[in-house]
Formats: sequence, C-alpha cells, structure tokens
Amino acid sequence: MYFVILCILLYICQMNETFVINWKSQVKKGTLTFIVLNILKNNEYYGYELIEQIRKHTEIEVAEGTLYPLMNRLKTENLVESKWVEQETGIPRKYYSLTEVGVKTLLQMNTYWTDLENAIKKIVQ
Amino acid sequence: MKTANINFSEPASKRVYDDYMTRIKKATNSLSKQNQDDVYMEFNSHIFEALNHNKEGKEIDILLDILEKLGTPEEVLKPLVADKKLEQATQTFNPVHVFRALILNFTNGISYIIFFILYLFLFGFVFLIFAKIINPSEVGLFYKGTDFLLLGISGNINLIGTRELLGNWFIPVMLLSIVVFYVLITLLLKFKKSINQKK
Repeated sequence: MYFVILCILLYICQMNETFVINWKSQVKKGTLTFIVLNILKNNEYYGYELIEQIRKHTEIEVAEGTLYPLMNRLKTENLVESKWVEQETGIPRKYYSLTEVGVKTLLQMNTYWTDLENAIKKIVQ
Repeated sequence: MKTANINFSEPASKRVYDDYMTRIKKATNSLSKQNQDDVYMEFNSHIFEALNHNKEGKEIDILLDILEKLGTPEEVLKPLVADKKLEQATQTFNPVHVFRALILNFTNGISYIIFFILYLFLFGFVFLIFAKIINPSEVGLFYKGTDFLLLGISGNINLIGTRELLGNWFIPVMLLSIVVFYVLITLLLKFKKSINQKK
C-alpha cells in the first residue's frame, strides 16, 4: 500500500518537474529574439560570437543551428542587417547589427518588458 | 565573395566535415545560387570559429561536438530554406519557385494547404487544355438545362439536355483562368507574407 502511495507521489513530482522543464524551454524560446536584439544593441557580432554572448549573458544554451534561421527572419523583418567581412584566414565572417527600425523596435520591446517585469514582481511577492 | 575550406590535421575530421558540407549543399539546392553560397559560407564560418575557440581535446571529437550542437543540416535548414524559398517565390512569379515554397511551408499552417489546393486547380486548368486537344468532344464546360454540371471530362455528354457552353472558346478561357489564378495566388502569398512579418 505504502509502495503504491510512494509511486504516485514520485509520479506527481516527476510530472511537476517535466512541467517546469517545458515551461523553461518555452520562456527561453519566447525570449531568444529579445535577447539577440539586446545583445546587438551596442555591438555587431558574427554568428558564433553571438551564441557565445548569449551564453555569457544569460547562461542559455542555444541550439546553435536554430540561431541562423532566426537571424534570417530578423533580416527579412528589417530589424537586423548583415555584412560579410573578409578575414586573413580566408574564411569570411558575417557580422550582424541592428537597423534603425531594429533600434526603434527594441526600445518599444524594452519598455514593454520593464512594465511586464514590474507587474510580475508584484504578483510573485 | 568566396570562402576557403577548413584545413584539418586528421583525415577522419576532413571526411566528417566534407560530408556535413555536402549535406548543407543538398539541403539548400532548391535556393538561388547566392542564397546557397550565403548559407554554406555562414555554416563554414561557424565551424571554423568554433574550432578556433575550442582547442582542448582531439580534433575529431571537437568537430563532432560542434556539428552535433549545430544539428543535422536537413533539420536545421528546413525553416531557413522554407523562408528563403517563399521570399524568392513572391519576388520572381516563377511557378516552380511558388510550388516548391508551398510544399516547404506546408507545415506552417492550414493557410498554405488552401494555397496548395488553389494551385492544384491551376494545374487542373493546364491539364484540361491538353485534354481538350486530345479529346475535344468530351471535354468542356457542361450544363444540364440551366444548371452547371461540370467543368472537365465527361463520358456522358450524350445524355438528354446536356450541352457544352464554351466550344472553341474553351482553351482561351482556360488560359485566362490560369493567368487569373496564378496572379491571385501569388498576390495572396505576398499578402500572407506581409501579415506574417507584422505578427
């Protein structure tokens, strides 16, 4: 009998853990664009460097291959622009930077984020 | 702009790298040459920079780790190819590009399935033109009395009250329908794309 109860409790704990893992993954996915734009706010970066920056600032492990489709979307939406820069190694780097539209959009996003953060803080307390 | 290939000290690493880059080329071969080169150069650059930033351990292990993190080209490049193909399709009005873009974007929602059905109609009109040439008497726009019966091929045209409306105008009308459908689909695709971007 005790064994059955223990199994049920373990199952519930397991479910909660899976829920939290899924939720974290959704939050990361939802904020990746926001993080990328903020990292590009003050500097231009090439793909690998950008991934390193994301890791450094947020400790988020980006599925590296997914960054490039995301950068392409940001480019078609005119938030980000890119340029190829020749290197001595013979392997050029593609540098990404914010466009004017990107800067303006990011300002709006940051304002919204601050408001949301304040609202959530009040609920969490 | 051209990119150099990465040099490896171990032949095994070179083989793994060559295989990965060939898969990238294959996964992107439906795109324009410029887009193909762009994707190839970007992934090449990523692998090169990642190798330069990770020097500890055996070369082949580092490379395999980098490629694993990047993901399989076929999976990773799917959304990128689908997006670029859609951009290309709406810019060129080329039916091959539009058809491919629709297939690639199938998984992106029900609206593309509707586009696909519209496109099938378009191919239906093309088919009917050939059918009319081969079998003029059984292909047409058939009416029974005043009611629309069918547009296509019918083996029962001798039924009482059935008549064909278009006659020699059938092929010109089909051609006009193709043009109208085609422009409509492409404009709708453009409209859909601009909505996607605003989301």
